[in-house]
Amino acid sequence: MTSPAEVAVERRGGSVVARLSGEVDMTNASYLREQLLDSMPNDALVLVIDISACRYLDSAAIEVLFDLSRRLARRRQELRLVMPPDSPLRRVIELTEVGSAAPVHDSLDSALSQ
Amino acid sequence: MLGRRANRHREEPAVLASRQATVAELALRALEGMPLGELRDAAATAVACELGVEQVAVLELTHDRRGLLARAGVGLPDGVLGGVLPVEGERTDPSSLQKDLGSASSCQVSIDTRGRLSGWIEAHSRAARDFTADDEAFLRAVASVLGAAAERARQDDVMSDSEARFRELADTTPALMWMTDAEGDITFVNEGWRRFTGGTSDVGVTFATSAHPDDREEALRIWEEASARREEFRCEYRLRHAGSGDYRWVLEVGVPRFAGGEFVGYVGTATDIHERRAMEEALRESEASFRDLADTAPAMMWTTDEDGLVTFVNEGWLRFTGTTLEEELGASWQLGVHPEDADATLSTWDRAREERRSWEREYRLLHHSGEYRWIVDRGVPRYEGGRYAGYVGTAIDIHERKTMEARLLEVYQREHKIAETLQRSLLPERLPQIEGVELAARYLPGARGAAIGGDWYDVLERPDGRVALVVGDVVGHGLRAAATMGQLRNAFRAYGLVESSPSEVVARINRLVMSGVEDVMATVLYLVLDRETGELSFSAAGHPPPLVLAPDGPRFLEGGRSVPIGASDPAVFREASAVLPPGSSLLLYTDGLVERRDEPLDKRLAKLASVAGGAEGDLDGLCERVIDAVLGDGDPGDDVALLAVRPLPAVADRISLTLPAEPASLASLRRRLARFLHATGASDLEQYEITLTISEAAGNAIEHAYGPGDATYDVEVAFTRGELVATVRDHGTWRERRGEHRGRGLNIIEKLMDDVRVTPGEEGTEVTMRRRLAAVEAA
Repeated sequence: MTSPAEVAVERRGGSVVARLSGEVDMTNASYLREQLLDSMPNDALVLVIDISACRYLDSAAIEVLFDLSRRLARRRQELRLVMPPDSPLRRVIELTEVGSAAPVHDSLDSALSQ
Repeated sequence: MLGRRANRHREEPAVLASRQATVAELALRALEGMPLGELRDAAATAVACELGVEQVAVLELTHDRRGLLARAGVGLPDGVLGGVLPVEGERTDPSSLQKDLGSASSCQVSIDTRGRLSGWIEAHSRAARDFTADDEAFLRAVASVLGAAAERARQDDVMSDSEARFRELADTTPALMWMTDAEGDITFVNEGWRRFTGGTSDVGVTFATSAHPDDREEALRIWEEASARREEFRCEYRLRHAGSGDYRWVLEVGVPRFAGGEFVGYVGTATDIHERRAMEEALRESEASFRDLADTAPAMMWTTDEDGLVTFVNEGWLRFTGTTLEEELGASWQLGVHPEDADATLSTWDRAREERRSWEREYRLLHHSGEYRWIVDRGVPRYEGGRYAGYVGTAIDIHERKTMEARLLEVYQREHKIAETLQRSLLPERLPQIEGVELAARYLPGARGAAIGGDWYDVLERPDGRVALVVGDVVGHGLRAAATMGQLRNAFRAYGLVESSPSEVVARINRLVMSGVEDVMATVLYLVLDRETGELSFSAAGHPPPLVLAPDGPRFLEGGRSVPIGASDPAVFREASAVLPPGSSLLLYTDGLVERRDEPLDKRLAKLASVAGGAEGDLDGLCERVIDAVLGDGDPGDDVALLAVRPLPAVADRISLTLPAEPASLASLRRRLARFLHATGASDLEQYEITLTISEAAGNAIEHAYGPGDATYDVEVAFTRGELVATVRDHGTWRERRGEHRGRGLNIIEKLMDDVRVTPGEEGTEVTMRRRLAAVEAA
């Protein structure tokens, strides 16, 4: 049994918005990475991953974020994250310095407006 | 102390389950009609076995209530069984057997039949012992089965007697009689009908095939209109007489039958009125030939002048009343009419005459035998040369039909009473006590004078520790539905114990039902819940979805849908899974709660969700609230079963888990941690961070597991004085995780916990982590 997680992908102009919900751990992290890479066409400039509805992320999920950022950079594409300021996940995202690989925004509007 | 507790946990559910099964088995035997004597023997043996006592006695109060007759027993000395023991002291006291047998300890429970003390069931132990509350509850359950069985045995006698009387009467009456069920299918035709029509076809078919082609359309229309409105109907049509091949005029009268307010079908009679019709036709031709004909006809006939004074009654009428023609002539309308019927009969007759309308009335008329017999009397205005000349009337003896109706009603009411008793005796009187879950249930008979259906609920503790919950609804009403319910309930108990997958349990029961002789159809929701993790899976066979009341609001669990049980074989039964968030309740119900003719189902479901509301409050209150709000605004019609369950937060201050060393175990670990942490009062942030660190340590343990000896890892979490201590132990050798960023897991652990210690050892590695809970400290 893998943990339950879902991605809903939506195109917004030059950006692709992926809303992640559920739980991501070592059982489904690499599957998720493939899903996210597949959803990113060559003509898109930015991938915004919204983790507001995510209940659980572990170190394997954080690895995926670093890895995605690296792969996208090679394709001249950018990764941004959306996470509300009061998210229980916030401290872990900060401790692991995810921000150094993908800027973290408080809202989707802020992530899309830059 | 700890050892004793552990022991109790292991043994009690097994003992309780065995006792529940024993009681269910006895109830089933009672239901299947096991003779009372055999049932008492079986009960005595079962009690001796389950309670581990040497002597058991089943005693019945004698008729004068002064003695106790020993009906059955185990280990009783010679001469006691079949003998009468004196009642000492109060008449309501148990026997003096304890003294006579010299037993050290006894448990004595009364047996009640029809709400009245009728005897005792007693367990006597030679060795001194304490009978626990559970022992007594078990004995009480056995006593209630015996009480219900005794009651049923009595009612069975009465019922089969009155059913037989009805059929016998129906078969000797000259009228043609039939009965249908609620769907309009014929369930009974009497001998007269079979003789006349030469068959047993149903009402619609009769009109369509045996009625005269010119009458068919009209007869069918009348039948369909009336049966749609469940009203009495009458129509005259020509029915083919099988013996002669001729068509004869019959008057068909159908009366709807109701049991406890519930429509259960029609009872009907067809009376041969050929002579009367011939008469009426003859009348149109000539008055004189009418009188000749009228006197040779068996029917009762009369005529009046324009003022309504009787001018003629035929021989048939005089034969019935035993009066003379002189007595009957003139203003004799009230003559022989039952005093209770006279006023209404006369006033309708007067009104009809004023308006020169046709008149018809059923009333009791004094028969020459001295008894009043029901007749239906009908008059139509007659005209001579276009001028109003009075009335011509015919009457038919309908006494058998009228009596039959009353008798039928009695039979159905009695059946209804038995069904209700059965239903009550089959539902668990109190829900089993299952550790770690709160339970509440309700059963409501239909509000319209209690229409007994086949709704039930049940709860069962599985050997794997999960809890199985079921609510179901057998299609149909009355005794058969209640009996079927009892059988299905037991089938679910049996298959629920051996099968772990809900869809498989439902599929097996479908196969069982489909292989049976009787037509059984039922909708069922069967659900298995892990009270530790909140993980659940369920199968909904034609049944509405279960409702989750989570802290963040209510929602229905979709999926797992398939056809009802008994609909087809083979059938595909699906199942769906979900996770109950900590602190949630689950509500299972039958469609009587949400199904109403005047409102769409989704609207009713939305209403249920909104009144059930949040996860707070006790479950009994929840059941009351739901019933009041959903059913309070109207008549539910159908019966309703309701079952609510809530896993209780872990009360323990520690959990200890051993899990398989594979990534899939992480999700299960998180659920168990969530439940434990929720109970400690940790904040959302703390819950996430602690779950994450323990899972990261567990992830390491899983990665280190190589050989078969490394197949599991242990997690222990203890919470004392505001501090949480978690230990993760694996059975491999510790190494740093490999790869560029593999250190991130340990990095997270170190940063989120106050203190982390890694102790590598020969048998494995132990990681111990500590963290103080801020929210709990502050509180």
